[in-house]
Amino acid sequence: MIRIECVTYSYSEGISALDGVDLEIGDSELLAIVGENGAGKTTLVKHLNGLLKPQHGRVLVEGIDTRETTVATLARKVGLVFQNPDHMLFAETVEKELAFALTNFGVPPEEIAKKVEWALIEFSLSNYRDRSPFTLSGGEKKRVSLASVLCYGPKIIVLDEPTTGQDNLQKTRLASTLTRLNRQGETVIVVTHDIEFVADFIPRVVVMSKGRVIADGPTEEILVRKDIMDASSILPPQLAELSWEIGLNTPSINTAMIVEEIRHMLGRTNK
Amino acid sequence: MKVFRAFEYRRGTTILHRVDPRSKLVYLILFTVLTVYFTRLLALLLVFLSFLPMVYIGKISARWKQSLRGSLFFIVFIFIFNFIPTAYLSGNIYGAAISAIAMSLRFLNLISVFSIFFLTTSPEDLTQSMVQLKIPYDYALTFNMAMRFVPTLSREAQYIMDAQRSRGLEMEKGNFISRIRNYIPVLIPLIISSFRRAELVADAMESRAFGASKKRTSLYILKMGRRDLLFITVALASSLALFAVNLFL
Ligand SMILES: Nc1ncnc2c1ncn2[C@@H]1O[C@H](COP(=O)(O)OP(=O)(O)OP(=O)(O)O)[C@@H](O)[C@H]1O
Ligand SMILES: [Mg+2]
Repeated sequence: MIRIECVTYSYSEGISALDGVDLEIGDSELLAIVGENGAGKTTLVKHLNGLLKPQHGRVLVEGIDTRETTVATLARKVGLVFQNPDHMLFAETVEKELAFALTNFGVPPEEIAKKVEWALIEFSLSNYRDRSPFTLSGGEKKRVSLASVLCYGPKIIVLDEPTTGQDNLQKTRLASTLTRLNRQGETVIVVTHDIEFVADFIPRVVVMSKGRVIADGPTEEILVRKDIMDASSILPPQLAELSWEIGLNTPSINTAMIVEEIRHMLGRTNK
Repeated sequence: MKVFRAFEYRRGTTILHRVDPRSKLVYLILFTVLTVYFTRLLALLLVFLSFLPMVYIGKISARWKQSLRGSLFFIVFIFIFNFIPTAYLSGNIYGAAISAIAMSLRFLNLISVFSIFFLTTSPEDLTQSMVQLKIPYDYALTFNMAMRFVPTLSREAQYIMDAQRSRGLEMEKGNFISRIRNYIPVLIPLIISSFRRAELVADAMESRAFGASKKRTSLYILKMGRRDLLFITVALASSLALFAVNLFL
């Protein structure tokens, strides 16, 4: 359970990156945070493991105020994967890279081996086990960075733009990994610009714009709202656009529902 | 990392900002030499005091103080590593303390004089003045770009530290040796990304035809004026005075 209460944050005087954000995230939720460039998404997620502390308001992670604890303590609960894998990778081999966090947390060696093995398979990295992370392609590096956090099994997983540079196969794989972890009880928060990914796999969406949360709710309700999509410079899902274009009574992002609705309309005009 | 930010140039209109970079270079060299040459605590203290009016005139006291605060770690380091061996070898604790303080002050003076120079000199003017001093443009530009990337680098270091701390790295954990080792996961990505950036910048410059014409011309030419004559005179006079005082101390 995460509670974000009226949090404000500014990097320098006068320009606020977060401007009074309220958000509640329950246990084992799967949700996306979307919004324009500079909306404050990265700033917000850096509050979740205490890298940034709120200047006003507070952030509670499982009842603990982030100001009263350390990043190292919170990091065990909250696994944060950043946008840019180049800011993370440093080890000689992919395998050692994956073991880094586990070693920091003092996990016993046999268990480290087991968890690294799991992550190598889960993120299709087994072939790269002994390769230097620096020799990998952009998408592969991204996967190593994801694996290096997910491998230690944090209860709350926060991913900043996990789908950038991933081909469709890897995206689907990522989605199924996330869905599975979520079903096993983990909270998964995905920051992304990939709206189709959200539409396909993520049930709840939080829309941010200019440091505020401007909408929050079930994905199929939020992504079909043209006003919200425009306000936060989001390219709406193609199905939503199709629904608007046809003029459906209840626009949708679900193929089956759209087909149903069209059938319904056609039936009416035929009569 | 704040220590870098304290060298970032901010536009300003004080006389110190308007003096030709070459005049300030004279000042920089004079006071660097004095600082390195002086060994006595009192002389170094006088040099330090001479920076105060400069900082005041240039309206850079906030950033200058930041640079001093940022170098606190190094100063403590320098003090300890001068004090302990000297005290141990000579057995004279008082003398060792004085000379260790002098060494720390010397470092403080160097930071100050460089910070006064860079805080009030725009990188473009600096490059231009180097070119006018007949330094080949390639070198002048390299220098300029190195300065330009310092803040970028410090921001990048921050991002990397954030990423590694999120994976449970505790920078302040352990004894002296393991603290240094804690920096490896930060330094490696930083170094690699700097190399990569350098390569990218080189590619980007070549694709925009850098070096296509042999002879470059400049839109602005820096000229020395009366202001500069005055500035250099004051710099020379005060450093001679300091030098003389040091002789008779
Ligand atoms: N390290 C920093 N120093 C100063 N300002 C910053 C810093 N990081 C972010 N900002 C500013 O804070 C605001 C919010 O940035 P943030 O990175 O949270 O946006 P974002 O929603 O993650 O955007 P993007 O989609 O581009 O990743 C922006 O206006 C940005 O310029
Ligand atoms: Mg971001």
